[in-house]
Amino acid sequence: MPSALANVGRLRRPLALRPWTVLLPVIVTCAALAVGLGLIAATGASIPRTVSAFWIGAFGSSYAIGASLNRAVPFALVGLGFILAAKANLTNVGGEGQIAVGGILATATALHGADDLPRGLAVAAPLLAGTLAGALWGGIAGLLKVRRGTNEVISTLLLSFIAVNLVYWSVGSVNLLRKPQTSASTQPESLEIPDLTKLPMLSSDPSSQLHIGLVIAAIAAIVVAVVLTKSAFGVRLRAIGLNPLAARRAGVSQNLQLLALALAGGLGGMAGAIMIQGDQYVLKIGFSSNYGFDGVVVGLLARGSAVGVIAGALFFGFLRSGGMSMEMMARVPSAVVWICQGLIVIAIAGSSAWLDMRRISAGRRP
Amino acid sequence: MTGEQIGLFVASSLRLAMPLLLAATGELVSEKAGVLNLSLEGMMLGGAFAAAIVSLATGTPVIGLLAGIAASLLIALVQAVLSVTLRANQLVVGIGFNILVLGITTFLFRELRGAGSSDLIPGLPVWHIPVLSSVPILGPALFQHSSLFYVGIVLVLGTWALIAHTSFGLAIRAVGEDPVAADKAGIDVGRTRYLGVLYAGGMAGVAGAFLSIADLDTFTEGMTKGAGYLALASVIFGNWVGWRTALACLLFGAATALQFLLPNLGFAVPAPLLLMLPYVLALLAVGGLVGNIRTPSALSFPFFRGQ
Repeated sequence: MPSALANVGRLRRPLALRPWTVLLPVIVTCAALAVGLGLIAATGASIPRTVSAFWIGAFGSSYAIGASLNRAVPFALVGLGFILAAKANLTNVGGEGQIAVGGILATATALHGADDLPRGLAVAAPLLAGTLAGALWGGIAGLLKVRRGTNEVISTLLLSFIAVNLVYWSVGSVNLLRKPQTSASTQPESLEIPDLTKLPMLSSDPSSQLHIGLVIAAIAAIVVAVVLTKSAFGVRLRAIGLNPLAARRAGVSQNLQLLALALAGGLGGMAGAIMIQGDQYVLKIGFSSNYGFDGVVVGLLARGSAVGVIAGALFFGFLRSGGMSMEMMARVPSAVVWICQGLIVIAIAGSSAWLDMRRISAGRRP
Repeated sequence: MTGEQIGLFVASSLRLAMPLLLAATGELVSEKAGVLNLSLEGMMLGGAFAAAIVSLATGTPVIGLLAGIAASLLIALVQAVLSVTLRANQLVVGIGFNILVLGITTFLFRELRGAGSSDLIPGLPVWHIPVLSSVPILGPALFQHSSLFYVGIVLVLGTWALIAHTSFGLAIRAVGEDPVAADKAGIDVGRTRYLGVLYAGGMAGVAGAFLSIADLDTFTEGMTKGAGYLALASVIFGNWVGWRTALACLLFGAATALQFLLPNLGFAVPAPLLLMLPYVLALLAVGGLVGNIRTPSALSFPFFRGQ
């Protein structure tokens, strides 16, 4: 099908580093941020105070930097899962649900038994449980895709809505994870996980909350980058993504698509476990607070590059920290941050499509 | 279960299904033309917001409805420029719009009305169909709905006729199945797809207005709460067939209405389980109950001439 081949053409060189492919996203991002500042000015808030609130929240102290980096970790893991599945031409938009089930299982494991284990295992067991839960969640979408041909965009989205309600259920019922009710005012949330199961901190500076999630994300990025660009597995994923029929004839099992979605889900589940074990420590309704959807956006914008995912994750991590600080210190509505994010996503998608179009028409000229 | 409860259950199922049905039917046209609008959620939210604000400002809900449609059309137009003309990734653009519209509506609502405001908004009138509305059980179930409900039924039936029986419908289906052949046959692929996206936008605007000025008569931040995604699932569940999509919407509406019925009947089912029920049903539906899936062949693929 010619139109499908055209699509393949645009996947071909995700890493081509022409000046415009880097410059244009930066320019449109700045433009979107300028729009945000304009809106803030329109509300009558003081721009210098807002900017300084953003700066203090994002970069202002070792605490702020640590918090921003911690926030970037789930974005990076979900984004890496996204580009892994995207290699097989699968669009995993279920990061939110994968984080949610990962968080549930990590909390359950941490609260029920993991602290009896030796130090290292006590941290690893919930992390592993969360990862497996995410892999299962992604795997369901993968199984439906392989067996029934179900569009994974819809199935992963629906699974996300189900998972978010599973969190609600788990923390709402004392038979599940809700902490014992001591008074009527007890919030629907779990007990705090035992200290032994919390992720170790990276720095000895007590004011910094930076945990080893950053190292885990960095390792994951290297592994994903190597697998995608250097391994036979990456080639097979790509083959099945480009032409499933031809790939099957060449002996590539279609179950690879299942595996790809399960791996992507596993990274999402790991992100959920890290959010619980790294800084939240308590499972609450809405604990995933759109990290999964933002992570998907990071993956989408990275256009297949692990380096791009890391850059995007860091950007979103600092943006979220700064945005929260703007809201608290300068009373700027968080909706302005959403507006900027939405504009950035649309503008980058539009501008890169425009670049592709120019490249294609330039390529046609003799 | 009393007759009165049955009547109420049917009424709330239909009421909850209508916004899904309107959005899904519009989306069906766009998807038949080959363009997937993940931004349906944002279009509905934009429509709900504009309808509410304008209805509140003018005191005339009909003007609110028109404003809702206009707002949603505007989103659809920008979406069409990006996904048809620029051939940007339809999923990325869709997700981007959902974030953007959630941000804009929340921002403007807080600026205009203050956070957490839930003023009663002048809504479209409820029509009690003469004679029929006084029939026991059936009356409250079917014939005491908002005027927009009945208009919605006409719009949906009209859309089915448009797809099946007009040359525009044929062009829509052609560019969604095989844009290259359609192009060779002299159909303007880009223009047809624009119209498809705009059609989805207009219907999503009506769907959003239904939420804010026909059903609830109020606006809350992010009030669509995933309805756009359920509408997308309905189209798949319905296997891109109009009446099946409508059945899917009814099923989702009924599943949501169970939240009100079950507690009344004395069943203590945890709220989260009922809240996730429509999504579980949708997943089962897209995952297996549908039978052979017939997706429009060129869905979500941009068209390049001369390749």
